[in-house]
Amino acid sequence: MILLEPHNVIIQTTLSEKILKPSSVDVQFVDYDGVRFHLSTPERKTVLLLSMHIRCWDELVKYGALNVLKREYGSLLQPQSEPEYNVSLAIDLEQLPASNEDRESFIMSIALFKRNALAAPFEAGFTSQKSLESAGAGTGELMQIHYRDEEAIYIQASHDRVTVIFSTVFRDETDRIYGKVFLQEFVDARRQPSIQNAPQVLYSNRDPPLEIRHLPNLRNTEDTGYVTFLFRDYLHYHIKCSKAYMHSRMRHRVAEFQKVLNRAKTEVATSEKKTVSGRTLVSR
Amino acid sequence: MSVLAPIICDNGTGYSKVGFAGNSDPSFVFPTAIATRGSASQQSNAPAVPSKPGHLASKRGVEDLDFFIGDEALANAKTPGYGVHYPIRHGMIDNWDHMERYWEQTIFKYLRAEPEDHYFLLTEPPLNAPENREQTAEIFFESFNIKGLYIAVQAVLALAASWSSNRVTDRTLTGTVIDSGDGVTHVIPVAEGYVIGSAIKHIPIAGRDISQFVLNLMRERGEMATVPPEDQLRVASKVKENYSYVCQDIVKEFRKYDAEPYKHFERYEGEHSVTGRTSDTERFLAPEIFFNPEIYSSDFLTPLPEIVDEVIQQSPIDVRRGLYKNIVLSGGSTMFQHFGQRLKRDLKQLVDGRLDARQLASGSLQKSSGVDVDVISHKRQRLLWFGGSLLASLPEFYTSCHTKAQYDEIGPSICRRYQIFGSAT
Amino acid sequence: MSNVLRPYLAAVRSTLTAALTLENFSSQVVERHNKPEVEAAGSKEVLLNPLTISRNENERVLIEPSVNSIRLSIKIKQADEIERILCHKFTRFMMQRAESFIVLRRKPVPGYDISFLITNTHSETMLKHKIVDFIIQFMEEVDREISEMKLSLNARARIVAESYLTAFNS
Repeated sequence: MILLEPHNVIIQTTLSEKILKPSSVDVQFVDYDGVRFHLSTPERKTVLLLSMHIRCWDELVKYGALNVLKREYGSLLQPQSEPEYNVSLAIDLEQLPASNEDRESFIMSIALFKRNALAAPFEAGFTSQKSLESAGAGTGELMQIHYRDEEAIYIQASHDRVTVIFSTVFRDETDRIYGKVFLQEFVDARRQPSIQNAPQVLYSNRDPPLEIRHLPNLRNTEDTGYVTFLFRDYLHYHIKCSKAYMHSRMRHRVAEFQKVLNRAKTEVATSEKKTVSGRTLVSR
Repeated sequence: MSVLAPIICDNGTGYSKVGFAGNSDPSFVFPTAIATRGSASQQSNAPAVPSKPGHLASKRGVEDLDFFIGDEALANAKTPGYGVHYPIRHGMIDNWDHMERYWEQTIFKYLRAEPEDHYFLLTEPPLNAPENREQTAEIFFESFNIKGLYIAVQAVLALAASWSSNRVTDRTLTGTVIDSGDGVTHVIPVAEGYVIGSAIKHIPIAGRDISQFVLNLMRERGEMATVPPEDQLRVASKVKENYSYVCQDIVKEFRKYDAEPYKHFERYEGEHSVTGRTSDTERFLAPEIFFNPEIYSSDFLTPLPEIVDEVIQQSPIDVRRGLYKNIVLSGGSTMFQHFGQRLKRDLKQLVDGRLDARQLASGSLQKSSGVDVDVISHKRQRLLWFGGSLLASLPEFYTSCHTKAQYDEIGPSICRRYQIFGSAT
Repeated sequence: MSNVLRPYLAAVRSTLTAALTLENFSSQVVERHNKPEVEAAGSKEVLLNPLTISRNENERVLIEPSVNSIRLSIKIKQADEIERILCHKFTRFMMQRAESFIVLRRKPVPGYDISFLITNTHSETMLKHKIVDFIIQFMEEVDREISEMKLSLNARARIVAESYLTAFNS
């Protein structure tokens, strides 16, 4: 598994299960970036209520998240969201698309709930870029999405590009150094002819505002319409994977060294000691 | 910042149960299996070292990301180039490389959680080596940078899970856990959250033996003649799961069947449209091997109630009352109907018999106030996981965890310290 | 092994072999105690002159002999930040398992990355030249392992970046 999938597996599996066999459910779970979900059947078994809490909801609404969600989910979107959550969908299991294929794509679209919500500012960025392009100059509004406590996405449209800035914080020293290697490779990989279509990548390792924290900034300029929202998670996932890989390498190497050292041990000749009656003495 | 729900990870030999605290059921239950590429061919060359990443110099790519876990691993078992491994053996982690990657995919692909934002609760079998705990801590803190870690003993979680039962009034962590899975049965005494290691007993009778016993009975009656041999054990275990129950008095039960034989027959329809007419006596005889092992095995002859009694008698005297009062059943092989009642009755007889004998022998007129014996059985499938979920939703959980800062300060050895919490006593 | 490395390792090997003349020696300070004198440092007269073998400013070996024990500390080459963190990880990982590496010290001597402590018990129960072999082989392979780990980290990062950016092509 190299790429992370954009949909939520828990939503996908739970929904598929409930469609086959409706039963009451009340579960809470999470997605990347501190998104919380609550899936429950408050009224009857066939109506599922899916609520989501995103930290940066107010900002997303400002950039048109509600419109995007309305377009995607239509009447499923509840006018009043559940308390403690930002937005709710009601899924009636009795009114589902009939064919299997439609059903699967329906489940998939629900599982992309978070992705769709986060899509709004990007879409807003692209439309404003279109209008600026015809004007020929000027820059759009700088949109800020504080999707985590210390980390944010900044999107700004100008007449010839949309600039997306991801900021991320590495809490761990090792992560920071690994992250630097990865980000550098992102910049280098873009130079390859086969992936010239990809947006240009730049990154800067700004001086930290506080002594303890480094804030590597990634500047990611968009030209095309495809955006994936898992950039930070993707990066962090692969940092973790590399560490796991390093661990397995080290385990192997340490086992090798162990063998070398074991060669140094002298064989202690162990002769069986027996009593007169033929029993063996065992040392404990 | 609102704290995100802790993640509960119960990795068993057969299945892993993972999910978020506060829920009543795990979000995912899948086999603890990992399918990796290339290892099958490697295994045929050098079966002794299948786990080692072979030619290190040639490994520059991301081959180690090419693997599947859980159900997908089993689905890919037949794909050429993939080999399936089971990283946990007998409850203990056997292959750390595979386990680390197994966890990696569990967290990132299935739970979709940032390990940095979550606390984790893991489980371990009783008598787990502290080195294993350190290795686990090393993986979770160094690879995943998790916020905090708590490693709980499985038996303690079973006790914690029974706090939700309405028959339990006080939240105690003292009790005897009878954990019977597919391979082996343990009787584990726990005093105030600590396992009394010296008194643990293992019984070599568990789910697989019961299935085998059912199979033997059915073969003797000729029911299995129509079933293909490779399915026989599976059919037998289905019969066991669906129809078996524990009787209160074996003699009476036999009479009942003799009087009206056909009333109690059940038909079993299984795979391959095999129809077996099953169950006259094996319905209650099958679980009976816990109480009368001589009907199945010739080398293990102690009935379960006696084992439980022995275990409690070997424990410190001041906790024995608590152990008798709170006997918790966990694991699939204890889910037979009336299992709890039967165990309670037999155990009560043993205890009362001993008290009476002692009173008679001492010639005293003073009568003992008696010992309460109570057995708590659960209808719940994922008892341990539920116990974990319950513990992790307590506010004390966060203070009992080993945090990343503590780990960085002290190192993996902090996990040798084990702190219990949550019990009212 | 490169030709530059060979004299360095040969120097370490002969120094270590010469220094590995240990005998059982009871503590002069505490009765009925027998401690590695190089660690206890209770009496000056049983400590011998420490010796540093240095290849360059980044790579050196410190050998501290005493009458019944010898401490050997290695500073491993670390060219940049990545090598520093990898080296730190690797030595830490190994020292975590010091239990099974009988001669490994759980903490390095300040200023070095990893330390070994060989006592007279070790030299009596194990073959002396094999212990030396082990340490030389460790020094030989640790550099290679770290640079290989660094290469594979870069290779991974490249693959990861490419597969992410290729997604934009579709």
